[in-house]
Amino acid sequence: MFYMFITFVKVGLFSFGGGYSILAMLQQEIVTNHNWLSADEFANIIAISQMTPGPIAINAATFIGYERYGVLGSILCTFGVILPSSIVMVVLTKTYLTLQNKLWFQHIFKDLRLLSIGLIAAAMVLIVKSSFPDLFSVIVFIIAFYAGWRWKISPIFMLIGAAIVGMIFG
Amino acid sequence: MLWQLFFSFIKIGAFTLGGGLAMIPVMRKEVCEKHKWLTEMDFIDGIAAAQSSPGPIAINIGVYVGYRIAGFRGLIVAVLGSVLPSFISIVLIAAYLYNYAELVLVQKAFHALKPAVISLIAIPLIDMSRKVGLNLRNLWFPTLAMILVAFVNISPMYVILVTIVIAVIISQSKKKEGKN
Repeated sequence: MFYMFITFVKVGLFSFGGGYSILAMLQQEIVTNHNWLSADEFANIIAISQMTPGPIAINAATFIGYERYGVLGSILCTFGVILPSSIVMVVLTKTYLTLQNKLWFQHIFKDLRLLSIGLIAAAMVLIVKSSFPDLFSVIVFIIAFYAGWRWKISPIFMLIGAAIVGMIFG
Repeated sequence: MLWQLFFSFIKIGAFTLGGGLAMIPVMRKEVCEKHKWLTEMDFIDGIAAAQSSPGPIAINIGVYVGYRIAGFRGLIVAVLGSVLPSFISIVLIAAYLYNYAELVLVQKAFHALKPAVISLIAIPLIDMSRKVGLNLRNLWFPTLAMILVAFVNISPMYVILVTIVIAVIISQSKKKEGKN
């Protein structure tokens, strides 16, 4: 169990770029290197993780931990994925707060802000690739975009509304 | 204050559907608009920092926001709150509902949820682009990054590292020009 914890710490430490890159690395560790789950079981867990609230990587970690060692395992695996990045993030936040007023640091962040727009767009493209070949998705997108832009509907209402629309017409 | 933070992040965690990025619009609403804990610019910087760190981006932003609002305790409260809904739902599913993935209704709901999430991210993204000074002259830069990551499958880590190195070099050379 400790070994599994270490594996998740490793995944949390070396996966950059959020959810999907974490899943790729998890698959490598869990299925290929350690044989803790079969490829089928893993695919099933990912499908469920995508349909459950919360970040996909966290959901997958919780699920895999539970499959192997129950609730204690899921707590350990979730904690393992979060731990390294939280430490890095605290260091980054502290650095940001101390260097905020330095000119060269502001230059870096000016570029990073632009970059982060590009990276969010990239993540959107990846979702679109997996979901948009059909007319229904396009229509929902246009309506949702208009409703959010024009009437400033709260994100939570929008998500609940979309879920209901999907259940009826999807 | 800590309780308010905790409940806000439970809400944020519970409505993160279809992956971590869906957290951004909900979090922005809670943190910048409703409670005004951070300015929009501080929040954008948090996203930039979160992308430069390993691990789940949504959790990283939670660490940043929690830490800035209430220090170390804020961090723990924010992370716990955002993880709790997904933790509870996964454990319940794993224990009782293994065939959840085959539930037609849930799949149908996601058919509409995915495009809705895209539009939910797109709207603040347009606002954000204005705030960070995106214009026709620098539009190539985020576009190039987007193509490299989404179509060429280059890890965002390299894109971020190259950006930082170039930014440092440019600001150093500007400094020299200023001295001469």
